[in-house]
Formats: sequence, structure tokens, C-alpha cells
Amino acid sequence: MFWFVVRYLGFLKHIPGLGFVFDSWLKISTLLTNPLLLDLIDEIEHDVIRWEGVTITLHKYGGIQFNYKGREIGHIHGNGLLDMLLNRQLKQQLMSDGKIQDHHVFKNTGWISFYIKTTADKKYALELLKLGYQLRRRSFTPGSDHQSALPTVIAVLA
Amino acid sequence: MKKIFSPRNRGYLFANAFSITAIGFSAWIINTWNHEGPNGTFIFSEFIIIPFVMGMISSWFWQKENISSRQLINRSILNGIITIVLSAMFLGEGIVCLIIVSPLLIICISAGAFAGRSMFKEDNSTLNSSIFAALFLVFITDSISEHHYQNMVSDQLVINATPDKIWKNVVAFEHIKEENKYWLFKVGMPSPVQSTVTGYHVGAGRKCIFSNGYVFDEKIVTYDENENLTFDVTHQPRDPEIMGHIDILRGQFILKDNGDGTTTLTGNSWYKLYVFPTWYYDIWAKSITRNVHWRVMEHIKELSEAK
Repeated sequence: MFWFVVRYLGFLKHIPGLGFVFDSWLKISTLLTNPLLLDLIDEIEHDVIRWEGVTITLHKYGGIQFNYKGREIGHIHGNGLLDMLLNRQLKQQLMSDGKIQDHHVFKNTGWISFYIKTTADKKYALELLKLGYQLRRRSFTPGSDHQSALPTVIAVLA
Repeated sequence: MKKIFSPRNRGYLFANAFSITAIGFSAWIINTWNHEGPNGTFIFSEFIIIPFVMGMISSWFWQKENISSRQLINRSILNGIITIVLSAMFLGEGIVCLIIVSPLLIICISAGAFAGRSMFKEDNSTLNSSIFAALFLVFITDSISEHHYQNMVSDQLVINATPDKIWKNVVAFEHIKEENKYWLFKVGMPSPVQSTVTGYHVGAGRKCIFSNGYVFDEKIVTYDENENLTFDVTHQPRDPEIMGHIDILRGQFILKDNGDGTTTLTGNSWYKLYVFPTWYYDIWAKSITRNVHWRVMEHIKELSEAK
């Protein structure tokens, strides 16, 4: 149903507030099908908010959004779908282990999607968010080259 | 007393007190500015904005409890159930109406609760006030706007009989004994059971009788034997179950001889909705109208194909 709405009714996301309503429906569905997932999302929120400089807002199309100094790190929809902007090189390397997918809308970009379903997925999602967080932090550090940190981070994720 | 007025209960109490006040205020504006429906029109704001703000109000009372998402949804569902019970008490809505409205209500209350939780965490009173002001503006604009929506539903069925054998069953038919298949009919929504006519000509009266005894009075406006029967609905009952929120304006049966001993029977209905948003209620209106069509048309098929 999520894919149907995204694919055929995606244009409705521009109506203010409709994204929140859709996400609320996703959350209620999740409560009925996999209530543990709601706890996992809460735990991720609880962990990420502790990272220095991170704020949490509502994502404009529904879900919770993690930001570092006003720049989005990623967001999680009510069905446990984590969307993040990395970069193409990093995305390519992460996709090779088969855990992450192309973003559900923005194909051929640095955006990725990852489905959280289990406690193990939560751990991986936190690692992905940490990676996004470090990328954002480095981009805010004058003279830094965030590409140089990638091999270390990928090694941690692998 | 402290337990009764705990933050949790205040979340329910103030949210529902707000909804009653806001719906009363909205009804007053609608009736003052543009009285349209037989029972008044229920607008987008009453099903989207008010529940959304209800969720926000509840979240404001619950913000210090630090509740989980799971608890927030459960509480939103309970909040919705309280609202539904109050709607049955104060607005006299029937069970089918309440079944139809409940998903929209609970989803919007829950959306408002999550939005509120996020807003109040930020503690940005300027932003929060702006959001409430924007919602109020939408509410007022929607309340004073004119609301008008009509649609038509069409269904087709092939009957293994020639038009002349089918025609008499189209104009009037005996009591439908077949058990209802549509789930809303099973839970109490009236379904069509019989049709009678005062004559076989234009201007004749036709009655469509429903399972609970309600009668739709109709007048035949087109009588092309074996081809086209069109009738306008001149009077319909006011029932808390749907009726009052939808008016059936016109019905039509068209018979097309397929030349192979079969006939394609087309049933058309035109209706007007008094509940908004139509992107939600029209799904239900179409589904109900379709199932009324199918019940009647399948009965006509059965009668016409009987040896």
C-alpha cells in the first residue's frame, strides 16, 4: 500500500499536512502489524537526539527527521523506512552488501532507503545515521575532506 | 479528584470539549452563511482540522509524561472512540456513519498528537502560535465556503435474456430474498428490497423500498420500453444511517440488446454529498451506491433468467 501511494498518489504530498496524516496511518498500521517497530523507532530517536548538535523535527512529507545544524541527516517514516542522503560513491559501496536500497523515489542519486523491521535493523539504521551525521559534521568543519573518512566508516558498517 | 483530572484524562477531556465547541461553532457558521444540506453540511475542517487540533491539545497535556509512540497511538484511538460516542449522543449519528467516519477521525487525531508532541518538544511558541493560527484560518475559510458535490456511478451486468423479458423486472420487482453480501448492509445499513410502480408511463410514481421500511419516492421521467427507464427521486427518508449525508437524485436503467439472446443492463445513479472531504467520503458513497446497484441488478438477472 505504501508503494502504491508513493507511486500513484505521490503528487498529493505537496498538500500541507497530508504527509502527516499519511504517516499517522502508517503508524497505526504498524501498531497493528509490527508494534515492536514503533518502539525501535522511539529508541533510534532517543539515541540520535543525544548526539551533539542534532535536532528532531517532523519531516515535511511525514515521519521524524534528524538534522545536524539545520541540515537533514535522514528521516524515518511510520512504516520503519529510513531515508538518507549520502553520496553516490558511498551509496554504491553500501548497496553492494545488499542491505540498503535505492531511495524509493529518488533513483540514481545519493539518497538511500533502508527498511527497519528488527532489533538488528535498528542497530544498522543507527550506524547509517551515524555515518550521515559524521558526513554532515565534516561538511561543517572548515578545510575538512569528508571523503577521507569514508573507508573507516564503511569498514565499521561492513 | 486528582486522578480524574490527571494529565492523561485532561488530554481526553479538553480535546473533546474543544471538538464539541468547534463543531457547534462550525455548524453555526455554515447555517448562517450557506444552509445547504437537509441535516446541514459536514465539512472538511470538521473531519480533518478539528481532529488534528484535538490530537495537538491532547499532546500538550501529555507532553510531560514522555509517552512512547505506541502509547500515543493507543491514546489517540481511545480519544477517537470517545469522540465517536459523543457524536452518537449529540449528533444522533447511526452506527454505519460512525464506522465510516472512525478511520479518518482516528488517523487525524493521531497525526495531530504526533505533530503536537514534536511541536511542544521544540518549545517554539511563535511557531506553535503560527501553526494554530494557520489551522484556524483554514477552518474559517472552509466554514464560510460553498460546498457542492455531485457524482454519478454506473454499473453493468450481462443478463441471459432478451430486453422484453427483463423490462418488467426493471420497472418493478418483487421482494429480494437473497441474503446481503455487502458488509455495510450486514451491519445495519438499509438495503433495497422491493420496487413498485403506479403505472407504466412517464409521470408514474415508483417506490423503492428498503430493508428497514424506508421508502424512496420516485417519478418516472423517461419510459422507453425495453430500452431506458429513468426516474427522479422526489422524496427520500431522513435516516441517521447515511441518509441525510447523501441525496440520491436520479436513477436509470438502460438495456442494450446484444443480439445473441443476452442483454447488457446498465444501472446509473446520480447523487449529491453533504459530507466533505469528498476524496474520502466519495469512496464510501461509490461503494454503497455500487452495492445497491448490484443487489437490485442481480435480483433482476435472477428473475429474468428464471424459466
